[in-house]
Amino acid sequence: MQSLYKQLILPENKSPYHFEKKEEFETVDAYNPMCGDKYSLYLSAEEVHFHGIGCAISKASTSLLIKEIEGKSKEEVVAFCKDFVEAVDKGETSRKFSEPLNVLISLKAFEGRVDCIQLSWKALLAHLENSK
Amino acid sequence: MKIKERNNETYGKVVKSRRIKVTLLDNPYRSDFPIFKRYPRLAYLDNAATTQRPKQVIDAITQFYSEENANIHRGIYDLSNHATSKYESVRKTVADFLGAGSATTIGFTKGTTESINVVARSFAQNQLKAGDNIVTTTMEHHANFLPWQVICEENEAELRVVEVSDRGDLVLEKLQEKLSDKTKLLAINHISNTLGTINQVKAIIDLAHEKNVPVLIDAAQSAAYYDLDVQELDCDFLVFSGHKIFGPFGTGVLFVKEQHIPEMRPYNYGGGMIKQVAVEGSSFATFPHNLEAGTPSIADIIALGAAIGYINDLDKEAIRNQLKELATYGAAKLTEIPEVEIVGSPQERSGIISFTVQDIHPHDVASFLNKDEIAVRAGMHCTQPLLHQLNVPSTVRASFSIYNSIEEIDRLYDSLIGLIEFWKDE
Repeated sequence: MQSLYKQLILPENKSPYHFEKKEEFETVDAYNPMCGDKYSLYLSAEEVHFHGIGCAISKASTSLLIKEIEGKSKEEVVAFCKDFVEAVDKGETSRKFSEPLNVLISLKAFEGRVDCIQLSWKALLAHLENSK
Repeated sequence: MKIKERNNETYGKVVKSRRIKVTLLDNPYRSDFPIFKRYPRLAYLDNAATTQRPKQVIDAITQFYSEENANIHRGIYDLSNHATSKYESVRKTVADFLGAGSATTIGFTKGTTESINVVARSFAQNQLKAGDNIVTTTMEHHANFLPWQVICEENEAELRVVEVSDRGDLVLEKLQEKLSDKTKLLAINHISNTLGTINQVKAIIDLAHEKNVPVLIDAAQSAAYYDLDVQELDCDFLVFSGHKIFGPFGTGVLFVKEQHIPEMRPYNYGGGMIKQVAVEGSSFATFPHNLEAGTPSIADIIALGAAIGYINDLDKEAIRNQLKELATYGAAKLTEIPEVEIVGSPQERSGIISFTVQDIHPHDVASFLNKDEIAVRAGMHCTQPLLHQLNVPSTVRASFSIYNSIEEIDRLYDSLIGLIEFWKDE
């Protein structure tokens, strides 16, 4: 676990991608009432940003999500999020995912943190599917 | 009696001389709990969530299903009669445990949460009119907050919530301000599950009774270690869960003072809680039988009796001293770490410590402690109003029980130091 943290989670947690408030954009709230982790995802045609508080894993995972979906169409994002959430549930890494995402999937071995990994992905998925 | 003797020989002596060295080797209780045979190095510091189970309790469940299994109350054969007699004898065991006098004051539920919901639905709701109020505090578990919030909303009544002090104490004057002649109930915990604050329940009950306000005591965190004499306390309702006092999951207790028994309406409807059923209309048994519709968790209630038997053999005063020493030592030790902040500093603290680690989220802390075989809880502990008031998003919570030791706190300290260095290293 320490090596996974060192390799991916801590760097991503310390320098998250596009970590700033953009409240003028379409906003998706990702909230886990069990632990208090709370992020807002700000969607625009060009870029995606996020802000909020949570553990290193949920923050790193949200940061990677943002990086991965920029430039993708809504349909592509929905399909991609579905694939990733399912892969985490099964704990099965795949060549269709980037290496950092496969590291997240391998964290499934540490039961209890799956919610942290999937938090923003599921919130975004629910938002996009409901706004169809 | 074996356990008491052990106390005197080992732990009792240590406490008296104040040289607390409750190490894994000389802790007299640890070997009573089979889980520590399976995980000898487990530092189980999540006792506010659930305690471990001693062999007696596990054996009671096995014995019932192996040798005594039958449904209760409705069978005219030996096995059923025996099961009924064992099940009902636990009501007396619990009544004695709480100094309640009569076993008819004791109802069995699935746990603290259900016990509180029963009081909300079967008692408070019938008393509550528009403009009335119920008083509680910000330091309650959601189980002792949401049922009141909901029935107040439903009845156009007011939920009055007393804020705790910055230290995490309940200030009696602030409570007094909230009580009025329209207050239909005061619901408060004995011990806060997040901060470990020990509330002065006797003084609180007296204060409420001056205004004829009935009081519900949530004893989930105290029933294992404190002498709860409901007649001396003069509380109107007292609730706790079996699984936090070394008993099985899915068992709970609801004590109702005799004067309120006629006011307790049925909670749910079905077999076993009736007087008479007819197509034209039915009538129901009185408390406690009117809340135990359907087949109860018989083996688990019998094992709850075994858990209380185990506790009755402990020297509770020595246990409380042990928990206090562990909490005092733990708070002092953790304070030595500059990055650690203890949440709350109540005047009287039980064996519960909540803390935060600078820049490291409680979930990450818990994951790293787990790697070192230290089990703690991370999150909001079902106390969002409290954490909101204290402006803390979430905490790590270490909570102690009889099998914990100074040595485990030292391991917690070492593990935290290692984590903080690892985090900075990056």
